[in-house]
Amino acid sequence: MTRRRFRQGVLVVAGWAVVGAFLAPLAWMVLGSFKTTVDFLAYPPVLLFRPTLLNYAKVFADNNFPRYVFNSAVVAGGATLIGLLLGLPAAYALARYRRTAVGVVLLTARMAPGIAFLIPLFVMFLSVHMVGGYTSLIASHLIFTLPLTVWMMVGFIEAIPREVEQAALIDGCRIVGVLMRIVVPLTAQGIAATSILAFIASWNNFLFALVLSNDRTKTLPVAVLGYIGYNSIEWGTLMAAATFITLPVLALALCVQRYIVRGLVAGAVSG
Amino acid sequence: MRADLSRKREGWSVARRRRDWTPDLLTAPALVVMALVMGFPLLYLGYMSLHRWSLIGFAPPAFIGVGNFVALTGDERFTDSVIRTLYFTGLGLASNLPMGLGIALLLDQRFPTRNLLRALLILPMVATPAAMGLVWVVMLDPSLGIVRYLFKLVGVMAPPLWLSSPAWVVPTLVGVDAWMWTPMVALICMAGLAALPGEPFEAARVDGANAWQRFRFITFPLLAPTLLVAAMLRVMDLLKVIDIVYVMTGGGPGHASETINLYNYLVALSYDRIGYGSAVALVLFALVLVCTLALIRLRRAAT
Repeated sequence: MTRRRFRQGVLVVAGWAVVGAFLAPLAWMVLGSFKTTVDFLAYPPVLLFRPTLLNYAKVFADNNFPRYVFNSAVVAGGATLIGLLLGLPAAYALARYRRTAVGVVLLTARMAPGIAFLIPLFVMFLSVHMVGGYTSLIASHLIFTLPLTVWMMVGFIEAIPREVEQAALIDGCRIVGVLMRIVVPLTAQGIAATSILAFIASWNNFLFALVLSNDRTKTLPVAVLGYIGYNSIEWGTLMAAATFITLPVLALALCVQRYIVRGLVAGAVSG
Repeated sequence: MRADLSRKREGWSVARRRRDWTPDLLTAPALVVMALVMGFPLLYLGYMSLHRWSLIGFAPPAFIGVGNFVALTGDERFTDSVIRTLYFTGLGLASNLPMGLGIALLLDQRFPTRNLLRALLILPMVATPAAMGLVWVVMLDPSLGIVRYLFKLVGVMAPPLWLSSPAWVVPTLVGVDAWMWTPMVALICMAGLAALPGEPFEAARVDGANAWQRFRFITFPLLAPTLLVAAMLRVMDLLKVIDIVYVMTGGGPGHASETINLYNYLVALSYDRIGYGSAVALVLFALVLVCTLALIRLRRAAT
């Protein structure tokens, strides 16, 4: 019994040590966001200090910051919603009628480098004067939110017993009715998880926003670059901005923690 | 195999009776949008790669055939970036897979708070990469960063200059990438471990195999296909790495951390060599495709 106890104790310590090491940079970022410059540069580093909200005040004193938050929310929200509207029916067809061609498209989307879409999209949007608009940003983010939605939803829909839908069809329900009255309610949890994953992917996307946005429509990951200048680095402010951008994503991710890996396998287009 | 055939036959007979358009109508909107934002741009990319093409100035695009691709072979900055990206990918795999497997074996054990730890492990991979890249820049600062302090604490008085050192910049970036993505490898391995059958382990225990032997001769071979899936996902993303590089070093010092994808971005969208950049993008795409298919084939051989 004591040997078992001992073993458990060792495992707990080892587990927390390993996972703790992975969480340390996040913790350090959050701590740093509440430090004054003096505390931030203290040597050796301090863990106990008088916290200040000054860094956050500075972030929001920049009149543009709320605008960037708004931009990120609009783009991520739009790309998620449109991805869902288009992806849900496609996922249903894929789950129930096996359309392998769509699978090939999904795999291609996973493998292709983002830049391969980005160069032509930039040229195309430029020729119709759409670079810098929300439309072009949302359209480009569909490149990953749509495949992600289809991939995730196929799994959730396959878990619904077929008989329920067949009964509805026999009762004279049209396919749209089946979708709205049966598939959507029965996969509500899956839809929520999928939406959150798509939202995170879009919120975190850097490269597409870097190329397709302008000063007015910049999203947060691009805007945060502005906090690291070459002559003056406001470290505390940078930490506050990074914390503000990252924290909502971390909170959302913990809610759908069970589905994260499945979402990552489907993958956001990275780079 | 047999079930597959009969299902196919069933589908065929249904199709013969009456073409059911429902699935096509359901997939049509998604397919149209995918064609617009993915299909057409890819075709256009191929078209542009055959031209000398710039957006600034008045010269219209000029068709030069495979000229861009020929020029690539003599472009040292490009070939260097390819070698560097392969080095990056190799280091990434060599660090992510053993570490991920190790973490998975640890968190596969039963102990209190294990599930909480598993949940928390997802955080590095969902944190906004651009923001986290900057946080790492601050942590790695050669004079004031916390990483330097930690190294001094364990007795390394003159740690490398990390991002400022041409020799260390790629391993350092691999380290930051590993911080983000090793947890994913670990979670994939954990799923694989949970799905392993129990009997071989029972049998081995009865035969008196020790923990290492059980790992070496049972766990590892059975987990190989899972590891290959993780390797495939990592290879896809490692070959395309750009976000953290752009944010943390911009390719520097000099070109010491310029990956293919970053070079591609710079050439096409900063230097306005659209046609040439399109050719680079196609080569990168082909590289990812070849490596992924090779791993898929390897996985088939392993199962």
